[in-house]
Amino acid sequence: MTARRLVPVLLGLLLAVVALPRTAPAEQLVTAISTDLVSISSNFNGSQIVFFGSIERDSQSVSRPAQYEIAVAVFGPPTNVVARRKVRTFGLWINREAEAFEEVPSFYALLTTSPLGDIVGEPIRQRRGLGFRAIVDESQADDRIRPPRFEAAFLRLMQAQGRYSEVPGAVEFLSPTLFRANLVLPPNVPLGTFDVRVFLFRDGVQLSQASEQLTIAKVGFEQAMTTFSREHGLLYGLATVLMATLTGWLASVIFRRD
Amino acid sequence: MDVYLPIAEIPMNLFLLLAMGGAVGFISGLFGVGGGFLLTPLLIFSGIPAAVAVATVSSQIVASSASGAAAYIRRQAIDFKLAGFLTFSGLFGSAAGVWLFSILRQLGQLDLMLALAYVVFLGTVGALMLQEAVRSMIAIRRGKREAPRRPGQHNWVHGLPLKVRFRRSRLYISALPIVALGAAIGFLGAILGIGGGFLMVPALIYLLRVPTAMVVGTTLMQTIGTMAFATIMHAGTNYSVDAVLGLALMVGGVIGAQFGARVGQRLRGETLRALLGLLVLSVGVRFAVNLIVTPSEPYSLTTFGGAGL
Repeated sequence: MTARRLVPVLLGLLLAVVALPRTAPAEQLVTAISTDLVSISSNFNGSQIVFFGSIERDSQSVSRPAQYEIAVAVFGPPTNVVARRKVRTFGLWINREAEAFEEVPSFYALLTTSPLGDIVGEPIRQRRGLGFRAIVDESQADDRIRPPRFEAAFLRLMQAQGRYSEVPGAVEFLSPTLFRANLVLPPNVPLGTFDVRVFLFRDGVQLSQASEQLTIAKVGFEQAMTTFSREHGLLYGLATVLMATLTGWLASVIFRRD
Repeated sequence: MDVYLPIAEIPMNLFLLLAMGGAVGFISGLFGVGGGFLLTPLLIFSGIPAAVAVATVSSQIVASSASGAAAYIRRQAIDFKLAGFLTFSGLFGSAAGVWLFSILRQLGQLDLMLALAYVVFLGTVGALMLQEAVRSMIAIRRGKREAPRRPGQHNWVHGLPLKVRFRRSRLYISALPIVALGAAIGFLGAILGIGGGFLMVPALIYLLRVPTAMVVGTTLMQTIGTMAFATIMHAGTNYSVDAVLGLALMVGGVIGAQFGARVGQRLRGETLRALLGLLVLSVGVRFAVNLIVTPSEPYSLTTFGGAGL
């Protein structure tokens, strides 16, 4: 092998070493969730979940003065939503315009240490699904431009129902490396498996990511009744009618006047 | 005390539900109507999804009608043959109504159709009732007696073919208007979540000339039949009957109805009809106002596929 042929090989090797990712990141996230199953029974009226996390640093990493920022994004099971707008037609307000939002999360909460704009830039927000803007852009089915007023209305209504929220300050540091985040689940929380993604940022750069899962499900009687009503709809209807007839008949016996 | 409604998938205060059932039951006992036309909008306004409200109220109407019908069965004040004709034709109307209901829901025009139908039917019937009652109140004040019904009094309905004899009601009339009436009311009941008693009673009295003594019991019997069918259909196709919500409304409703019936016996017939007309009319007007006045939020969200909203 001549020296002339060796040069490009060596150059290539050098480039590869430089471009290679570091084998282990300097910071790693370790997270825990207060409960991974929220069970809905007859007295359910919303719930609260607590996330804990710790930032593990390897010994070599220099402690830098810049602050850690945490973002916790909670995604409910995806759903398809149609937003409709009423337009006055012959004096009546009628639903005339509609826009679809496909595969949007049925629940979305973004818990952060500071306002999102201060933590991380637009490209990463879009890529990681952080913030309402990213959620709405993600749900665009085709290339057509959706009127911004529909997107605003969608976000406004979802927030009014307590399904969408951005809560800056919901993540607080208990020590320089230990943090806690509170998630409030409203009474009308959708059911299913929720994805929870935790991100660690510093100076607008993502250092680490962790994920958790959270399941919200009916249990006991509520579960049994829903399953029965879904699988044996007609029988369930018949049982309801029997219950109604019995209630009515019982009342007429108890309050009999003639 | 909040109780989680498993099908509506939201918690509601149990006492609020009992109170709503009771208040509507009181009115239904007072006037001898099912009260669905009040209960369904009440539930929708308090946050229950429209589909669940309409389907569940039909089961509540079964309970309140059954409690009322029991007394009429003991008094033998029901024309079972007439009720059977009305119910059987009502099943077809009801099935068509449940079918149209799910189509309108997909098109996003369910709310509009509900509102329009409420405006047209409640507005018209309420205005007619009020007018009739006020007229007879004036007549009584002037000292005139109401003309009693004479058997054999005829109108255009009695000229139609396919005549059937109804012994209890002492009627020999065409089956056509009966079938049409039953189907129309079954249809409206399934779409609007109303029993249709407030439409059926005047139709039987003024159109078919059924004796007043038979009208209420027969209507109740027909209501039980069509509403039971509507409940089963909604449960089978839309999965929208909430039995827990239904039971709370039923218990409140049947108790309220007893007190309503007691108060109702102390009021004069014309006064009752005028009050009912006013009530029906004002619910219609309330829906009309919603359609005409600029809404504070012109946007609304619904889901298609996936988790419900």
